[in-house]
Amino acid sequence: MTFKEKVVPTIRVADCLLVPIQIDLDDKTVEQLQAQLLAEIQEQRVRAVILDVRMVEVIDSYISYTLSETAAMARLMGCRTVICGIRPPVALTLAQMGIELQGFLVARDLEHALALVWSP
Amino acid sequence: MARKAKELLDIPADDFEMVVRIVREEDIAVARQMAKQLAQGLGFSLADVTKVATAVSELARNIYRYAQTGKIMIRKRLEENGGPTIQVVAVDRGPGIEDVDLVLTRGYTTYERSLGIGLSGIRRLMDFFEVVSEVGTGTAVVVEKRRRKF
Repeated sequence: MTFKEKVVPTIRVADCLLVPIQIDLDDKTVEQLQAQLLAEIQEQRVRAVILDVRMVEVIDSYISYTLSETAAMARLMGCRTVICGIRPPVALTLAQMGIELQGFLVARDLEHALALVWSP
Repeated sequence: MARKAKELLDIPADDFEMVVRIVREEDIAVARQMAKQLAQGLGFSLADVTKVATAVSELARNIYRYAQTGKIMIRKRLEENGGPTIQVVAVDRGPGIEDVDLVLTRGYTTYERSLGIGLSGIRRLMDFFEVVSEVGTGTAVVVEKRRRKF
């Protein structure tokens, strides 16, 4: 997958794919991200994908739905998915709406995410 | 109910500070951004700005999905006691909702790719929430959020 085809640049670290999301997620972007990640999991054969959402200011029900769906798809491809860095107002909003981000391991930050992935 | 639906659908857009016509998918993000700016400008807390933006995102998506086109209208209201309030009115002349209570049930959806959590979620995020709908006429959703003091 070439750089141009990616909506979000990714970084390979050992057997993980880091995905720092630094853009506003809208419906189309999150759908493109899903396709991108599935392609990269297949190409790079990573053990885990780590989504860093520190910069994401709004996660609504459709974005959550698509991210959770992506995590389920990744799982079917033998890959774990970790989400980290959810901002306090986003956590508050998701919790009040009753959205659980199913399918994800949840970590505080990148370091925690890597520890979760590498823990036996 | 029917009269109220028509009244809300005919609210003049001039009465609002911000009006976003929802026609394309990208308009969902535009509406969300506008709501965020207005809430920030009124001095809402970051948590409440996020709640308002998320609610508007859900409302705009509902319009796009179920009615194809409609409007998100946002205005501030100054309450006599207490701080300013943001009011969002989402209107469409789509098919209307036959059973409003049913669509407010958590997990209920007629759309394939959905948690069925949008409307019930908005209700939890906002201070005021009302859905007025008439089959064949359209749907209006009114939500409000008050600025909280710290």
